[in-house]
Amino acid sequence: MKKGIFAAFALVAVLAMAIPASAHFMMVYTPEIAMDKGGDMDFRMVFTHPAEAGHTMNMGGVNEFYVLSQRGDAKAKKTDLMPYVKEIKWTNPASSNTAYSAMLPKKVVRSMGDYTFVFVPGYYFEEEEGIYMQQITKLIANVGGIPGNWADPVGLPCEIVPLIKPYGVWTGNVFKAQVLSNGKPVAGAEVEVEFMNHMPDMTKNAMPAKGSVEYPHDSMVTQTIFTDSEGYITFGIPKAGWWGFAALGVGPDTEYKGKELSQDAVIWVKAVDMK
Amino acid sequence: MKKMMITAMTLAVLALAATAFAHTPLCDCFDNGDGTVSCEGGFSDGSSASGVKMYVKDGSGKVLQEGAMNADSEFNFKKPEGSYTVLFDAGEGHAVEINGADIVE
Repeated sequence: MKKGIFAAFALVAVLAMAIPASAHFMMVYTPEIAMDKGGDMDFRMVFTHPAEAGHTMNMGGVNEFYVLSQRGDAKAKKTDLMPYVKEIKWTNPASSNTAYSAMLPKKVVRSMGDYTFVFVPGYYFEEEEGIYMQQITKLIANVGGIPGNWADPVGLPCEIVPLIKPYGVWTGNVFKAQVLSNGKPVAGAEVEVEFMNHMPDMTKNAMPAKGSVEYPHDSMVTQTIFTDSEGYITFGIPKAGWWGFAALGVGPDTEYKGKELSQDAVIWVKAVDMK
Repeated sequence: MKKMMITAMTLAVLALAATAFAHTPLCDCFDNGDGTVSCEGGFSDGSSASGVKMYVKDGSGKVLQEGAMNADSEFNFKKPEGSYTVLFDAGEGHAVEINGADIVE
């Protein structure tokens, strides 16, 4: 009997701890997004909780991976990156799952200008809630310092369009962006923000247990902001490193296979210290 | 007096033009591996380099080829034998010189 009560208590405790857990984040990671010259680019795509190196989920495959590159007044060029996508196993301290890598050759990222990478995963089924999730993710890189299409909407079902160069952010800058659904601003959307606290290990395909930040309270793990009436978010960036923004349930698709779908828009930016 | 006015106006316009030009010229070239080299140019504020003069010189500074950046801010040329340099010439203070030895595939 005593054992039973203890087990029940332990279960409750585990559940209670699980509830304030960090947000789901489609991670599209490459070590550097502000390059002097074009070259190979190595990517990892993992559906996880980067603020705590948390649970890693099966994203349900890859629907699309491509890049829109542009420089100055030239036309944007679209390059399909699916031929480079490979399935890998990603391991975090408490879980591992299917993820993807892509090694882009220099010929893809050789020109100067901007590169807007777009990653559209499949659908992840969250059993506890009985809902599907799909996080359409953008990452914008630059070669050589000539800007291009970084501020242009891609025309995705839902997306976060930056108003500050996402590869040229200083620590302490304010990140400003607009959340769009079918090209129209979304007012009052909930946007979760996470810091990449456990830097991905590209050789081990893993996140280390040790992070660089300690959270004084569970509420600090995932920060939450809302879009204003015009769909804009503003967020002061307090620390150098990678920051992910996820606008939840803003996409036009609300159902998949007869179940509720949360179609989210994600963008990653990197801040650097002014030295 | 009128002449002075015109001179002053011209200077003012030039000064304004110089302000509008307050950006960094950027140029990069790569060897296409087929005997040709492609250069791309632009400015740090995103403005086009279309029409910017391009020179390909040999080791002694003699101009071998010259041309201009096209509408896409690109310039292609035949790779010369021996050592060479490429000059992206957008005017005083806005030139970029690239050593042919640094131009790789």
